[in-house]
Amino acid sequence: MIKTLSYSILLFWLLAVLLGRLFQLDPNQIDLNAILSSPTTVYWLGNDDLGRSILARLLHGVEVSLLVSVSVTLVTMAVGVLIGMLAGFYGGKIDQVLMQVTDVFLAFPGILLAIAFAAVLGPGLLNLMIALSLTGWVSYARLTRGQALSLRDRQHVQAALSLGASVPRLIVKHILPLLTSVLVVEATYSLASVMIAEASLSFLGLGIQAPNASWGAMLRDGVRYMLVAPHYVLIVGLSLMSLILAINLGGDSLRDGLDVRQER
Amino acid sequence: MIKRLLSFCTVVFGVLSLTFLLIHLVPGDPVEVMLGESASLADREALRADLGLNQPIAKQFGSYLSRLAHADFGVSIHTKTPIIALIKTRYPATLKLACLALLIGVGIGVPLGVYAALKAGHWQDLLVTIISVRLSAMPAFWLGPMLMLIFAVWLGYLPVSGMDSPSSIVLPALTLGFGLSAILTRMTRTSLLEVLNDDFIRTARAKGLSEPQVILHHALRAALLPIITIVGLQMGSLLAGTVITETIFSWDGVGRLLVESIEKRDYPVTQACVLLVALSYVVVNLVTDLLYRWADPRIKLAH
Repeated sequence: MIKTLSYSILLFWLLAVLLGRLFQLDPNQIDLNAILSSPTTVYWLGNDDLGRSILARLLHGVEVSLLVSVSVTLVTMAVGVLIGMLAGFYGGKIDQVLMQVTDVFLAFPGILLAIAFAAVLGPGLLNLMIALSLTGWVSYARLTRGQALSLRDRQHVQAALSLGASVPRLIVKHILPLLTSVLVVEATYSLASVMIAEASLSFLGLGIQAPNASWGAMLRDGVRYMLVAPHYVLIVGLSLMSLILAINLGGDSLRDGLDVRQER
Repeated sequence: MIKRLLSFCTVVFGVLSLTFLLIHLVPGDPVEVMLGESASLADREALRADLGLNQPIAKQFGSYLSRLAHADFGVSIHTKTPIIALIKTRYPATLKLACLALLIGVGIGVPLGVYAALKAGHWQDLLVTIISVRLSAMPAFWLGPMLMLIFAVWLGYLPVSGMDSPSSIVLPALTLGFGLSAILTRMTRTSLLEVLNDDFIRTARAKGLSEPQVILHHALRAALLPIITIVGLQMGSLLAGTVITETIFSWDGVGRLLVESIEKRDYPVTQACVLLVALSYVVVNLVTDLLYRWADPRIKLAH
């Protein structure tokens, strides 16, 4: 039941984005008569502080948010897996150095390092993605290293090695396929966490810049006008909650289905 | 033990290097970014010399370390005050907030976890678990505004933001504490459930002890160790979580100082705040680890 619920929420948002595209809702169209107005029949979810449609901006925000989280997840996974493979497969000095580096990255709690990178790189979509990628690869590197370390000694890998297979071939053909399910589950969780991180940075004004819509920035504006237009912050908050819950629940059911990771 | 301390030192060194390198990641000329394009050449050169940016990078790093050793974080570009003075006024506010959040987290999380463990398999357990698991997934920048909307705007019980009245701390502390309590509920439940099936609990019950005595004196005591670790580990992320919470509620702590310094492009302050929070986290982690080893001798044997 929970699985169905989470998939339907995801489907709902996907449909909403498509419909928004279909009806060409403009997230930047300003209606000065409707500043901070409550939901009406014209603007279903009301308007923000510049009289822009909250619905249109929400839908635009999902697109940006998905773009960021999918691309950051793919980049961090590629980099992290490569580094983890190098560390786990070769071991020794390389492993020690690389793991020291990941330890240092892990020493920065939560989103702090991403904030720091975003701060020095300056705001903007691309810089936001760079900042999130610079901090996101660590978990993949750790995960892959652990797996590669144990898979290295498996008989089929040793057999391929003694038959003269090159290391890249070993990694791509014999180790990577065994990692797929673990990586898929990890990627689902990282989609949600990148989405949260993007919204946090945009909330702090370090991410996506005006006039582009982002849920984090909308939430910040909503807080600013909470006293006059409480519907603004409420709508954005509930939307955000539904999406994050759906992705996390989807990740849970995916994990249970693939049965690769223990309950944390 | 020595290995742990050694790795602590390398991590601290790494943290220092990374925060040092931050300012060199600024695209283009950091001095120009900080002062703006209209600044005069003399001003720029003065700041460049102040920050030591005209020296070779190895030398810069050396003087950075030696200044830090003397608790000298440099001077804020914006207000021209020593950063250490800024931190001295801001850090206590952050600590106060984090400690209260910790109390709230433990105060809600542990009893709820015990309750869920005792009701394991019943609907109450399911309800608590669902709420706690889901609550922990909700970020502070969501929870904060929602609490603000309900308790400050709609019900009007508490001030919206600021630090003017003693009750101002309630909402930010709740925001931080709820997230922590969710994690603690889960940990307490799991850890207590493991213990409840042990022989010594059956013995305690067979002795005729009352159920509260069995739970509080025997089971919870044995289950406490993993809970303490989680509290220690979460203290660090609590410090990081203050960045967003303090910004939402205009709470004048280190987190807000960090965000303000970023907005003003006051990089030395940014650098100092990042370093301070990261070092607090590393130190708390080390202390937790050492306490844990001291409390449970089995860990020493295992390593």
